[in-house]
Amino acid sequence: MTATAVRTATAVPGGPSRLRRIGALAGAETRLLLRNRTAVVNSVLSPLLLVALVPLFGSGDAPLGQTLLVSATAFTLVFLTYYNLVVTYVARREALVLQRMRTGELTDGEVLAATAVPTLLVTAVQIAVVAVGVVVLGEWRAPVDPVLPVLAVLLGAVLMVVLATLSSVWTRTPESAQVTTLPVVLGATALSGVFFPLVALPEALATGARLLPLTPVVELVQLGLTGRTWQGEAVAGAELWWAALVPLAVAAAWVVLAGAASLRWFRWAPRR
Amino acid sequence: MHPTPTLAPVPAPVAAPVVEVTDLRRRYGSFEAVRGISFEVRPGEVLALLGVNGAGKTSALEVLEGLAPASGGSVRVLGADPRRERAAVRPHLGVLLQASGLPGDLTVAETVRTWAGTLTAPRPVADALAQVDLTGRADVRVRSLSGGERRRLDLALALLGRPRVLVLDEPTTGLDPESRRAVWRLVRGLVDDGAAVVLTTHHLEEAEQLADRIAIMRAGTVVVAGTREEIAETQPATISFRLDPGTPQPPVPATVEVAAPGPRVEWHTRDLQPVLAELLAWAARTGVQLHGLQARAASLEQAFLAVADGADLG
Repeated sequence: MTATAVRTATAVPGGPSRLRRIGALAGAETRLLLRNRTAVVNSVLSPLLLVALVPLFGSGDAPLGQTLLVSATAFTLVFLTYYNLVVTYVARREALVLQRMRTGELTDGEVLAATAVPTLLVTAVQIAVVAVGVVVLGEWRAPVDPVLPVLAVLLGAVLMVVLATLSSVWTRTPESAQVTTLPVVLGATALSGVFFPLVALPEALATGARLLPLTPVVELVQLGLTGRTWQGEAVAGAELWWAALVPLAVAAAWVVLAGAASLRWFRWAPRR
Repeated sequence: MHPTPTLAPVPAPVAAPVVEVTDLRRRYGSFEAVRGISFEVRPGEVLALLGVNGAGKTSALEVLEGLAPASGGSVRVLGADPRRERAAVRPHLGVLLQASGLPGDLTVAETVRTWAGTLTAPRPVADALAQVDLTGRADVRVRSLSGGERRRLDLALALLGRPRVLVLDEPTTGLDPESRRAVWRLVRGLVDDGAAVVLTTHHLEEAEQLADRIAIMRAGTVVVAGTREEIAETQPATISFRLDPGTPQPPVPATVEVAAPGPRVEWHTRDLQPVLAELLAWAARTGVQLHGLQARAASLEQAFLAVADGADLG
């Protein structure tokens, strides 16, 4: 007699919600981060040091507080969020943690999201610290549009997560992340508009720079805080959101592209 | 309602298989690691995939675990595709990977609590620790555990969701004999409660002790499968004895293959009982002493070694 298997695998109602599952793993990851003093110090200090250097470059005719916030957002997203996540994903993969986390009920997306949570928390704290600092320095100006900078940071954070998952594909060890992250850390940052306004570049080059991943985030934060476009034009209201369309679209396109490439190539276990 | 005929004997209920693997293939580039294997496991049953390293055991398990796609064939766990229908399968599946993959800086209790937080119906953390005898180590960091303790922690996590199907990839490799026995007892207990287990091992003793059925793998294929006795029967039994110098040789029955002619005689045969009877009758008739007479059925080990040597059995 051959018994045929009956389908008995059914999702159990009342299981843990997606948020509870992510929360459980994110809690453990946060604990791990806090137990690694060097990582904490490095990730908190390096972007802050960079921000501290900003006044030395001068802020041109823009108010100092807003320049500080724009640079803080860009530096934090690249040096902390992106770099830290590449290192974390690679380290967890090589220690076979990612593969083990996939053997339970967590979905792949939940594993990656939960692993990113501590880094994203530090990112938020970091930007908040600079904002408080700006207020303390008496340099705070009300943003022209308060929604846009927040949206830009959220979009930027998502973008850094998918860029990190993608970069981990060709990063063999946590140490080699120092090299594999250079295109984003150096290239994209240098041409993001943080160090110098992109209008200073020939038009073709400026257009190219605006298509890099970090540039739209910088443009959006600046647009929301100061109401100035990348060319320095002052805009407000509907015009401001009209000007935001191109950078929003560029950032969204990067999320989609890097996300799709990660889906295709992300490695959960070390190469055999 | 269907009327039940009172006179017909009711057959013992055979539970439907909860793991069904049909012609499974797994390819890496041009290398085919798994070349069309099939098996079924029912509730309350243990199947051991036995083979040397590189036989394709882990590659096959990764498909069952839903971690990798099959290149060909089909795998059903509890009637569902373990990869495409992961959400339906996972709450009932316990997985023990070959490599532990646990962060070293969490304590044992933190690790179990974290895992429990991701599961639908976890056992209480204290029970899980007691089950694998790690209660006294609850506050120790994972990196400070011994190899055996770490394996027991892995097992505690695999069992934490009260799985109906358990996939264990070399559950006791690197364990001392005592820990190994403890793991066997634990798995046996789960099977008695109705769990279905698929495990890989290269320890013969583990397969013998734990498995109801064994599939010996070599180079991506199952060379022979069955119960321990069925597999052993694929190999001839051995009769051996020593003759005093100058005594006549016994007549060699037709079914015997002479492995050593003497003075230390070794015969191989698939007809142990009649051959032995004939030999003893001859010895009684002629008054010849068969010193150190031994007769033994083939062992699983013999079959395994024959497979390792490249023999095609079954």
